[in-house]
Amino acid sequence: MTDLMLFQLVGVFLFCVGVFGLVWRKTLVGMLIALELMINGAGLSIVAAAQLTEGDAVTGQLAALFVMGLAAAEATLMLAIILVVVKRFKSGQTDRISQMRG
Amino acid sequence: MEILAKIAFIFYCLITCMGSIMAVTSRSLVRALVGLIAVMIAVAGMYLLLAAPFIAFMQILIYVGGVSVLIFFAIMLSRASAEGDETGPVSLRKAVNAFACLLAPAVILSLIIIHHPEAARDAPINVSPALLGEGMLGHYLLPFELISVVLFAAMAGAVLAAWRKRGRK
Repeated sequence: MTDLMLFQLVGVFLFCVGVFGLVWRKTLVGMLIALELMINGAGLSIVAAAQLTEGDAVTGQLAALFVMGLAAAEATLMLAIILVVVKRFKSGQTDRISQMRG
Repeated sequence: MEILAKIAFIFYCLITCMGSIMAVTSRSLVRALVGLIAVMIAVAGMYLLLAAPFIAFMQILIYVGGVSVLIFFAIMLSRASAEGDETGPVSLRKAVNAFACLLAPAVILSLIIIHHPEAARDAPINVSPALLGEGMLGHYLLPFELISVVLFAAMAGAVLAAWRKRGRK
């Protein structure tokens, strides 16, 4: 097993646990936490590929930085959406907020 | 890898495993957040092992310092009870779905990684932050500027969405 393989497997593990949590969780905040796990796994995989293969390392590290920026933007928006939903439905549970009205 | 690096890698792996399982299965959302922060710090340590100290620093700064505080605000503002809404049994259908979602990508991606190994370097190369800055302001100037626009749009959208309208309830 090469080093690259080990790091990629850890990244896959984080991603899969994140997917599991996204389905398993019942509240919006829990789903947000699982989503951050998935993004961390993706970032780790990108940086491992950048540092340990023959590809351009600068490009890979910049891609990881962009992923972090997008994750920050996404977390901000999720916070606002959770606030709106909780204010409107008085609950953050996903089972109760399945109704839409146009 | 050197023997010390191997020990550090195993250590970070253990933290990652325990933290991620805690983040996903813990009943209390605050405990889940603590698990997530442990995972983030362990991933930063793995970036250090990959000879990418700038990325590790940014990981600590952005995720541990920024995103986790945002999630904590979301926990704080979205519920009143200390126990949270995660208590109570999970339905069988949901559990089956969740384990299917866990196993399918895990098996497929792991098989691909193990059976199609890339030509890997023995040691990671060291990229100085100056090179990263040159790349950011040179070849990748447009994405760098666009991400500031994206961040601004996200902040403005967040303020707009959470704005309490006067007059209405």
